Amino acid sequence: MSRKNIIFGIAGLWLVLALGLIGYKQRILATGIKVVLETVPVDPRDFLRGDYVILRYKISSLSGIPGKSNFKRGDRVYVKLEPAGEYREAESALSAAESAPWRAVAMKAKNEIERGDVVIKGKIRRSGVVKYGIESYFVPEGKGREIEKSMAGRSKVAVEVIVDKHGNGIINKLFIDGRAVQL
Amino acid sequence: MIVSIIAALLVIAISYAVLRTIVISIFGGNKHSSWLRKQLPLWETKEIINAEQSGAIRQLYRMDDERQKSKTDAVKIILIIGAIFLGAGVIFLVAANWRKIPAHIRTINLLLMTIATLFAGYYFSYEKQGHPLLGKSLLFLASVFWGSSVILICQIYNIPSSDNWLIVLLWALPVLPVAYFFNNRYVFLLASVLLIIWNFLYSHSANAANYYYPVLVFCLILPMAFKLGAWANINILGLLAASFSCCFVEYHWQYSWLAIFISSGLLGYYLIKKEEKYFSAASLSFIAWQIVCFNATAVKRANFYFLIPLAALFFFTYRDKLKKSLCINIFSAILWFHLVVYPYSKVFNDKYNGITALVIQLSIGVILYLIGMSHSESKKYFAPLYKSIGFATVAGCAYLLSFKKMLIGNAGFEHKFFFIICLALIAAAVLLLILLLCTKPPQTKFFKMELICLSAVFSGSLFILFFPLLASINTVIMNTIIFLLAVISIFYGMGIRSAEVFNSGIVIFVLLVITRYVDIFWELTEKSWFFIAAGLFMLIGGAYLEKQRKKVIEKWSAE
Repeated sequence: MSRKNIIFGIAGLWLVLALGLIGYKQRILATGIKVVLETVPVDPRDFLRGDYVILRYKISSLSGIPGKSNFKRGDRVYVKLEPAGEYREAESALSAAESAPWRAVAMKAKNEIERGDVVIKGKIRRSGVVKYGIESYFVPEGKGREIEKSMAGRSKVAVEVIVDKHGNGIINKLFIDGRAVQL
Repeated sequence: MIVSIIAALLVIAISYAVLRTIVISIFGGNKHSSWLRKQLPLWETKEIINAEQSGAIRQLYRMDDERQKSKTDAVKIILIIGAIFLGAGVIFLVAANWRKIPAHIRTINLLLMTIATLFAGYYFSYEKQGHPLLGKSLLFLASVFWGSSVILICQIYNIPSSDNWLIVLLWALPVLPVAYFFNNRYVFLLASVLLIIWNFLYSHSANAANYYYPVLVFCLILPMAFKLGAWANINILGLLAASFSCCFVEYHWQYSWLAIFISSGLLGYYLIKKEEKYFSAASLSFIAWQIVCFNATAVKRANFYFLIPLAALFFFTYRDKLKKSLCINIFSAILWFHLVVYPYSKVFNDKYNGITALVIQLSIGVILYLIGMSHSESKKYFAPLYKSIGFATVAGCAYLLSFKKMLIGNAGFEHKFFFIICLALIAAAVLLLILLLCTKPPQTKFFKMELICLSAVFSGSLFILFFPLLASINTVIMNTIIFLLAVISIFYGMGIRSAEVFNSGIVIFVLLVITRYVDIFWELTEKSWFFIAAGLFMLIGGAYLEKQRKKVIEKWSAE
């Protein structure tokens, strides 16, 4: 194979990988279900990607998920979510369905998922913490501190997450007292 | 943040320059060739050699190539540092997460820039004549831009930092074809370092041993390193880091097998390549395996199965005469012995404290020295090595036992299990010595010197074993042994004309004097006078010793 073909091959591979990653995430955003999860934020800094907010959810702790389970550390779990009551402020632009915070109702294995279940996929880490891959929300450099200040004294911080039918979740928006944070 | 990164890069560049200077000063560099380059025209004008012969000499030592190489080296460094700075700048621009430009525009721009840089690198490397270094640097820059693109995409979709391993993997693997097909060593180095980082991030994130990393290195990275003729060592270091990191994580069976898996792979490479570094690395990884298994079964049982791989490692070491590996494997065997003995402290309710461990180690040192002495003519190659390790072990243990505080603090030496172990080791050493004396009667005065030292060490060990509470007497005995070791080493070194033995005697003597000086005068005198007196004493003593040492060594060289 000539070097010219190889360089085209490498460029093609890079583009396919980049577009594949984008496509995979976009597909979830386009076809997934919007759920709102209540959070508790912390502010660190990622060594690769600038400022971000670490998010902890009620469902991040095993004790926050109802029902008994035989799951152990390292297991892949699917947490079934359902909307729980109204979560809306008068000035919010969200629709009622979108703004209702969701709560965990059960923890399942993959083969236990039923048709119509809205689940989010996670993995049990040490000391009973479940990680869903939605624990970081990236903000522009310097904005993290600002957001943290605006959070002070506010009680309701939530995140809109989009989950696909396989339980993969992506953060879409961050809400403080029902208002989407503008970056 | 950016300032600190730039400072770090400068530190790396300066370190590289310093390392290069050290390597050149150790291995000679091109000092001789620059001398020869100056001499050749002189010889030609004096008609000692003709132009043709001068040309042949230049060709033989590749002197013209060397000059060219040193010039390109400087250009290469400037270009690569430029590429690193530019790449780092783009990564920080991505990290700043500047939202005034929409995400899709940022992504498209960066991807286009990456692809354009890749093609520019190809163009300058192969299409346009005369810019190969620029081409290589642009290919490296394209690889850094590719990483920036992956980081940007992951940032846009809020992929959490626990999944950073995915970013690093997506960065490292796709740049490998650039390194392989375009013989780009810098890109290969980038990929190798990224894969080492990936290994740790993945293990941390998944809470599991990463077997993919060694498989990747053994099957893909090392063969590539051979093809490119570079950076095999950094990947071996990565493997060793993976092995030893298993010692510091919460135990899981996966971790212990990772270390031996890496060890076996390296052994396989040794059998293929016949290069000692692979065998040394395999031996080191085996040490990591021992430690991991000890952590897992700590204080439960002694592991005798390790003797099988240990014996195999010694077999290869002897068969192929591998000196460095023998050092590592001797250390491995000593470690194995301590790890085997330690669990019995619980079984027999006996303390494995400082003195016990040191007397055991001292006896092992004596045995190693005797093994060195008893090596047959056919195995003479390893005799000095055993002797050196044995001597260093004995001197080190005697030095530690020469502190009165240490002896008082650990004096509760009961005549239980470890006492018997110490006695057994001393008995084994004595038996070995008797056997040696039967086969080789002491004829030379050097042999007699060695015997004096050995007898002193035997007596000292036995005294400390039977009378551990007599701390003051034991301190005097151990100091006398060290003094004897120093003096005999100096005379022995002079006798056999070995600068190493002679210097080691002086080092021990100086260490002993300094230590005792600190011991005695630290509490008694004003600190300022303590340092002034110590400084003067060391300067004058050091100058005198240096003079004497030079005299002796010059005398040997003259003879």
